[in-house]
Amino acid sequence: MTVFSTCHKVIGKQYIALSLFSVFIGIFLSLVMRYHLVHPDTKVKLFQLLWPDGAPGGQMTPELYLSLMTMHGTIMVFFVLTTTPQSGFGNYFLPLQIGAPDMAFPVLNMLSFWTTALSLLTLLAAFFVEGGAPLSGWTAYPPLSGLGKITGPGQGLGQDLWILSIALFCVASLMAAINFIVTIIELRAPGMGYFDMPLTCWGWFVTALISLFAFAVLLPGGVLLLLDRLAGTSFFIPGGLIVNDQVQTRSGGSPLLFQHLFWFFGHPEVYIAILPGMGLISTVLSVFSGKRVFGYKAMAIAMLAIGGLGFVVWGHHMFISGMSPYSSIAFSVLTLAVGVPSAVKTFNWLATLWGGRLRFTAAMHYALGFVSLFITGGITGLVLGQPGLDVYFHDTYFVVAHFHLIMGVAAVFAIFAGLHYWFPIMYGRFLNEQLGKLHFFLTFAGVYALFVPLHFAGFVGNPRRYPDFKEYEFLKSVMPLHIGVTHAAYFLAAVQLLFLFNYLWSKRRGALAPANPWGAATREWRND
Amino acid sequence: MTNVARSAQVLLIAASSMLFAAFTSAMVVRRGIGGDWAAPPLPAWVLPTILFAPLASWLLHQRRVKPAMAAGAALVAAQIALLAHFRMAVIGEAFCAVLIAVHALHAAAGVLALGRFGASAAIFWHFVGLLWIYVLFLFGVWA
Ligand code: HEM
Ligand SMILES: [Cu+2]
Repeated sequence: MTVFSTCHKVIGKQYIALSLFSVFIGIFLSLVMRYHLVHPDTKVKLFQLLWPDGAPGGQMTPELYLSLMTMHGTIMVFFVLTTTPQSGFGNYFLPLQIGAPDMAFPVLNMLSFWTTALSLLTLLAAFFVEGGAPLSGWTAYPPLSGLGKITGPGQGLGQDLWILSIALFCVASLMAAINFIVTIIELRAPGMGYFDMPLTCWGWFVTALISLFAFAVLLPGGVLLLLDRLAGTSFFIPGGLIVNDQVQTRSGGSPLLFQHLFWFFGHPEVYIAILPGMGLISTVLSVFSGKRVFGYKAMAIAMLAIGGLGFVVWGHHMFISGMSPYSSIAFSVLTLAVGVPSAVKTFNWLATLWGGRLRFTAAMHYALGFVSLFITGGITGLVLGQPGLDVYFHDTYFVVAHFHLIMGVAAVFAIFAGLHYWFPIMYGRFLNEQLGKLHFFLTFAGVYALFVPLHFAGFVGNPRRYPDFKEYEFLKSVMPLHIGVTHAAYFLAAVQLLFLFNYLWSKRRGALAPANPWGAATREWRND
Repeated sequence: MTNVARSAQVLLIAASSMLFAAFTSAMVVRRGIGGDWAAPPLPAWVLPTILFAPLASWLLHQRRVKPAMAAGAALVAAQIALLAHFRMAVIGEAFCAVLIAVHALHAAAGVLALGRFGASAAIFWHFVGLLWIYVLFLFGVWA
């Protein structure tokens, strides 16, 4: 296995390794944040050691909190949720499942991976430059992100590196998207029609189509933002701004323009994270029910519908931006319409289980967990999709709860399901089943304990992206809830070590797997 | 040309079109709400470069790859010279500079692709020509 390999299997594993590395950084950052939220005044030696400027004497500054939040979100969204389900699993298994010798462009594939790796390094470098990591969140709204150092530590070089990293990620994703689509269109085995492909391939296909159009819009957004910072343009910077008592000279730009560009990418991005998981879950549920997927064609079409509708709903992230109420209604109706194909998928999953001979393997547990989380997180989406309710809930912990359940955790459950399911192909061994199930139950309990209470914090109007709640009288009542949530977070993070151990141990010592241990019908089990 | 090469180029064109659509819509919005729009001044010698598209496509049609590459390189050189004309602090000129620079990247990529893949890269090459007409129209007429 060479470092600059062009073999799709090696590249798939490289993407997964990159994600695994990233996810533990992301988890660590989240623990630091959760700790700080319930102990805002405690001085911590470790913080001072890691961030001498951000935590002088061990006392975390509000700016440091925001920079941790930015890096947590960016790492998780781009380098975990966008990377493993699509680029990791997709590279490894797409060619096997459609009977292709490799991806259509192996060298391009290798370049995509290394561009992604460079993008990650660029992002992490932001921690080590003067001022540290940027503060403006994974959404990087200007003017905060557009004016440079004056808006805070981390808003200098740190924010430049962030934008550069995202631009590199866009380029890598565009190359990967072209590779995936060409592979599916041109390299299917003779006689295999589109509707003969496993639903996993449909998931990767639709995701690649979405990536092709979404990243092509984020890239211009990033370029224009970088120019606002470095070349003195005013694409997004409005006139009359006074920052830290200094009048800004730029004028005429529109921060809302950036929001439109960002969310035109951002909403499809959430489907980029979840669609490969949907495909995978369909397969796992069907294999372990001993039945074919119920309504195969409807499932494939529902994915296309979700992907297509995903491009016309971005305004639901901007209901409070002052848009015309008529636009709000249009975006709201379209948003709620996404519920239809989503429900088609959910009911078809249930129908796939119905009357089946269920085998409760670890992968099956995660797949069922995925369905549960998809429903819990999806229902709050329908709440947020209504402007009247969203005006209240926007920028509260209710949104944090919504997207963590559906995007964060559901997609991660799909990753766990996929790793348990395909481990025999990837390493010739099983992940330990007992340990896997134990990890499932603890994680499942942990995520519900962590994220369900956050909805209630949202009811109270608890804003997100605030480093210290005790400054606000009306938030006193939610502090006990936050203490509970923080403990759930510790628990959840600790439990992940079980998985890490299982993964590393089983790679070398796990029980040897026979050729097709689950009795699956798709090609990847024949080829190997 | 293989099917793989054709599909890849069609997809690349789709992505590039999306990219230019995003820049264009940003420009439309920014022009509409900024209240500080002024048409970017284009030097007169830009006009003849509109002939690049038919010339480049015709050359390739004649299978004259090297001259087509030379035409592309000449266009990129002209575009780089053009960039010096714009002041980034003036919004119309900034958009003009950005779109020309992004087009120059496409044209340079097209030249490299011709060098590497010869006439197989024709579809992308025609697209680069058309795109240049679009950019000229955008700033010469619309803006
Ligand atoms: C029927 C399905 C869904 C509906 C109606 C829906 C609706 C919404 C709405 C209206 C918001 C904006 C809330 C606000 O900022 O005030 C939102 C935020 C969000 N949703 Fe969903 N959603 C759905 C499914 C999903 C899925 C499947 C994912 C990911 C896999 C997802 C991920 C997110 C994320 C990440 C955010 C927050 C982004 C941010 O502000 O940082 N949603 N959703
Ligand atoms: Cu959305």
